[in-house]
Amino acid sequence: MDERRLKESFSRVAAYGDEVPLFFYSHLFLSHPEVREMFPVSMAGQRDRLLNALGRIVSDVSSHDALVPYLKGLGRDHRKFGAMAEHYPAVGASLLATLAHFSGPTWTEELARDWTEAYTIIAQVMTESAAADENTNPPWWGATVVGLERRTLDVTVLRVAPDMPLPYIPGQSVAVECEARPRVWRFYSMANAPRADGTIDFHVRIVDGGSVSGAMARHIAVGSRLRLGPPVGTLRLDTASPRDVILGAGSTGLAPLKAMIEQAAGLPNPPRVHLVFGARSATELYDLADLEKMATQWPWLTVTPAVSADPEYRGESGTVADVIGRRVPLAGQDAYLCGSSAMVAATMGRLQSLGMPQDHIYVEDYGWSES
Amino acid sequence: MTRANSQQLTPERVRSAAFSPARLGRRGLDEAQVHTFCEWVSDELARTLNENTMLQEEVLRLRDRLLKGRGNSGIQPEDGHVQAVYVLSKAQQTADRYVADAQNYSREIAEDAHKRHDDILREAKVRASMILEEAHASASRAARTVPETQEPLPAAERQELEAEIAYLRTFSDVCRTHLRAYMDSLSRSIAEWERAEQDAATAARESRLQPSQQALSRRFHVVVDSGRRK
Repeated sequence: MDERRLKESFSRVAAYGDEVPLFFYSHLFLSHPEVREMFPVSMAGQRDRLLNALGRIVSDVSSHDALVPYLKGLGRDHRKFGAMAEHYPAVGASLLATLAHFSGPTWTEELARDWTEAYTIIAQVMTESAAADENTNPPWWGATVVGLERRTLDVTVLRVAPDMPLPYIPGQSVAVECEARPRVWRFYSMANAPRADGTIDFHVRIVDGGSVSGAMARHIAVGSRLRLGPPVGTLRLDTASPRDVILGAGSTGLAPLKAMIEQAAGLPNPPRVHLVFGARSATELYDLADLEKMATQWPWLTVTPAVSADPEYRGESGTVADVIGRRVPLAGQDAYLCGSSAMVAATMGRLQSLGMPQDHIYVEDYGWSES
Repeated sequence: MTRANSQQLTPERVRSAAFSPARLGRRGLDEAQVHTFCEWVSDELARTLNENTMLQEEVLRLRDRLLKGRGNSGIQPEDGHVQAVYVLSKAQQTADRYVADAQNYSREIAEDAHKRHDDILREAKVRASMILEEAHASASRAARTVPETQEPLPAAERQELEAEIAYLRTFSDVCRTHLRAYMDSLSRSIAEWERAEQDAATAARESRLQPSQQALSRRFHVVVDSGRRK
C-alpha cells in the first residue's frame, strides 16, 4: 500500500466536498436498502461526520499509534447503531465505487488495490474491536427515566436507571437516543459519580432549534425509555496530582465537573476544590442549591457562582474566566473546564495568559465522538 | 455579414465578424446584420452546451463500464446505477432541506419566545417598583390628611392608628388597581402573541398543503363525474 498515493487520491476526491458522502450514502442505500433505517431522516450531519472520519483516518494512515485506538473506538461505538460484521463489505464496496466515481480518469488499478487494502485493514480493526467488546458490553444500554425536574426554562435534570450496570468514570459522557427522535444520538455527561443503585443524572439544556435537546427536555416523562451508548471521553480527575483543583463550569458544562466533585468526596484525602459555576442570569444557575449544600457538607469545597449578563445580580458578576481570574489563586492548581466552546476557549486563554501551564488545564473533549 | 448555415461558428469567425455601415441617414452598423449574427451565436452556443451535457453523460457511462470491466481488485464496486444514485441524492438533499427549514423555524420561534420572556420579566420588575413607589407616596399623603382632633393622649394614639389604617388601606388599593391593570395588559399581550403565532403557523401550513390538496380535489371531481356518467 502506497500511503502517499492514498493521501493524494483522497485529497483529490475530498475536493468535491459534500458531494462525496452524498454519493456514498445514496450508493450504499441503493445497493443495501436494509441499512437505510440505521440512519436518521436528515443525513446532513452524518455526511460531515463521515468525511471528517475518513479525513482523520487518511491523515493518520502512517501513524498506527494514533490510528488504531481511534479505529477501535469507532468499531465499539458503531455497535450501538446496529452495525454488524456483515455490513462492512457493503460499506467497502460503496466506498470504492464513490472513490472511483470522483477520481474519474485518475482512478487506476493500483489505487483500487491501495484502497481495498486500506479498507480491509480498517474494517478488520473495527470488527475485531467490536467483537471483543461483545464479550463484556451490550451494544447499548436500555434505561428508564425515573426522575425529571425542570429547573429553568432551558434546563431539565433527568435521572435514569439503566437496565444493567453501566460502569463509567466521572467526567465521561454517553450518547443518548430517545424514542421521540430515533436514530439521532446526542452526547450527555454523567452528572454524578457512580451510585450503588446505578442511577445516572443528565443535565439537559434545550438548544433553540436543536432536534434532540428539545425532545429530551420536553417530551420525556418519568417512565420514558432511552438508549445509552458506551461511556466515552477523556476528561477525568487526575487523582494522582498533588495540586488543588479549579473547576470552571458554563451552564450544563457543570455535569461532568459535579460528578468529579462527588468522586473527590470519596477519596481518602480530597484536594481543595474551587468550583466557579457560570450562567447569564441568576435564575439560570439551575443547580446552585444542590452545590451549596455540597459545599456546606464538604469543607474542602468552595462554590462561587458567576453571572455574566444580569446587572442587578449582587454576587460575582462576569464570565467564568473573569471570576476565576479575579477570585482564584492559580499557583499549584489544576483546572478542569467544561461548557460551550466559546466559554472553554475564553477561560483556557485567560488561565494561560495568567501563567497557568497548558498541561495543568483539562477541558472537555469528546474526541472522535464529537457531534 | 450574413449567416453561413453550412459553416461552423468558430472563435475566429466571431472575432473577425464584419458588419456593413448602416444605410444613409442612420448611424452605426446594419442592425439586421448584427441581429442575425447574434442569433447564430446564440444557436451555436445552445447546441454546444447540449452536446457538452450529452458528452458528460457518455463519459460517466463509459467510466462505469470501464470500472465494471476491471473487478479483479478484491472488493467489487457493486454499481448501483449512477443515475439512480443521483436521483436518490437529490431526494435526500430535499429531505435534509425540509428538516433544516423546520429546525430554523423552530429556532426562530424559540428565540422570539426567549426574548419576550426576558422583556416581560424586565418590564414586570420596573412596573413592580413603580407600583410600590406610587402606592407608598399616595398612602403617605392619605395618612397625613387624617384630621387632627382636640382630644388628649388616648386620642393622639387613636389618631396615629387611624393614620396608619388610612396609609395601609390606600397602599393596598393602589397596589391592587395597578396590578390588575398590569395583569390585564399582560394577558392581552400574551393572547395577541399566541394569535400571531397561530396565524403564522396556519399560513405556513396552508401555503405548503394547498397545491397538493387542490390537485387531490381536482382528481376527486373527475372520479365523481365519470361515476355519474355511467
